[in-house]
Amino acid sequence: MDDMRIVERTVNTKASKISAKGVQVHYGATHALKDVDVEILENTVTAFIGPSGCGKSTFLRCLNRMNDTIPSCRVDGSITLDGENIYDPRVDPVRLRARVGMVFQKPNPFPKSIYDNVAYGPKIHGLARTKAELDEIVETSLRKAALWNEAKDRLASPGTGLSGGQQQRLCIARAIATSPEVLLMDEPCSALDPIATAQVEELIDELRASFSVVIVTHSMQQAARVSQKTAFFHLGNLVEYGETGQVFTTPQDPRTEAYITGRIG
Amino acid sequence: MNSTHILSAFDRDLEAVQALVMRMGGLVETALLEAAEALDARDEEMASRVRAGDKAIDALEDQINIECARLIALRAPAAGDLRTVLTVMKIAAALERAGDYAKNLAKRTAVLSQMPQVMGASGSIRRLAKAVVQMLNDALDAYIRRDVKLAEDVRQRDRDIDQMYNSIFREFLTHMMEDPRNIGPCMHLHFIAKNIERVGDHATSVAEQVIYLVTGSLPGEERPKFDTTSARG
Repeated sequence: MDDMRIVERTVNTKASKISAKGVQVHYGATHALKDVDVEILENTVTAFIGPSGCGKSTFLRCLNRMNDTIPSCRVDGSITLDGENIYDPRVDPVRLRARVGMVFQKPNPFPKSIYDNVAYGPKIHGLARTKAELDEIVETSLRKAALWNEAKDRLASPGTGLSGGQQQRLCIARAIATSPEVLLMDEPCSALDPIATAQVEELIDELRASFSVVIVTHSMQQAARVSQKTAFFHLGNLVEYGETGQVFTTPQDPRTEAYITGRIG
Repeated sequence: MNSTHILSAFDRDLEAVQALVMRMGGLVETALLEAAEALDARDEEMASRVRAGDKAIDALEDQINIECARLIALRAPAAGDLRTVLTVMKIAAALERAGDYAKNLAKRTAVLSQMPQVMGASGSIRRLAKAVVQMLNDALDAYIRRDVKLAEDVRQRDRDIDQMYNSIFREFLTHMMEDPRNIGPCMHLHFIAKNIERVGDHATSVAEQVIYLVTGSLPGEERPKFDTTSARG
């Protein structure tokens, strides 16, 4: 507390990384997402909040074409990554997902060693030519995920042997090993205790220096803590999208206020 | 407060609001000293600078309130963190009032410089202002260092300020009885002295916030009062 400098991990950018315009999603006859426009900025943490079934996860999964795996799902509108339409038939979804990585709700390490968990992505995408290069990617990724100190002496032991919080950080290390430009996180802390949650949140704040992070969370407090931009979804609509401090102190839409103050759910 | 949060952005936010309060404290201290100096030197230019400077103090208070509202909404502070935010807001309010008194002092300086001088009065007021600014300075130091002992010392020192004010009060009374032409300037000078004495009360409340911040409760017993000018006699 002696240090009174105003230090802010400011990464101020207005540059758009992902631009979504008029996005509509149907699951069969269900209209899950209605006309969503969002600009995801570079080096920014964007939080999607809203009650269950509001469409926030659906929208997140549109951003790296995870919805392709659901046969009844139809996505309309345009989503561009650095100006390039990600739904263009020439875009390879596997390559897209290397650029737009994802971390899921439950930590899901492969039943392999810690090392192999992280090395898998770079290997299949041919990002390392030699063992030394691969070693370096593994170390850098584990360091960025704040897991290196705990894992460096047990790289050969199975990833599933780690604690829940460590497994989630392993999954983050795996996701960032392919040097993605955007990291999507679907409830990354819901299976973690408060300390592991705080560690992952600190990590998210650090990762923002290198990537855009988009996080879906049921915890409004988590959205408040980690994000710079917040989008509130309700019944398939994007109700409000703005600077996080503004959304949580002076929301513009009465539905947003009702949700963040615990009045609708 | 000796360890950091896992989520370091929380620490940065808490440090930022406290740094704003410190900056505000610095402006208020300077305003009071300069206002007293302007009065003593009959320097109208300096007085008008002090008056204009109050805007910056008010703007800082607004900024602190906005930042604190954000902090509460975004970080849900608990325990010592919550007390930090609450005390920041109260201290900012106290400093804002102290800034207003400095501005009022500067305003009266403009009026007083058109009136006959009262021997020795502006010197006493300058000494009072110095003592009060030292109190305020110590109270803010105690805040940053979380120093209850220093805060308690500041709190007790308010009696000295009260006593200085009492003697100034009597001094002015004497001047007014001696020569009715002194009544005009002495009334203004008395308001000035009273206002500076009130800044001492605000410094005391800053010190009390330090005690609340560290211990979780406000000091209970009444402070000894030595302002006897409102008593009959």
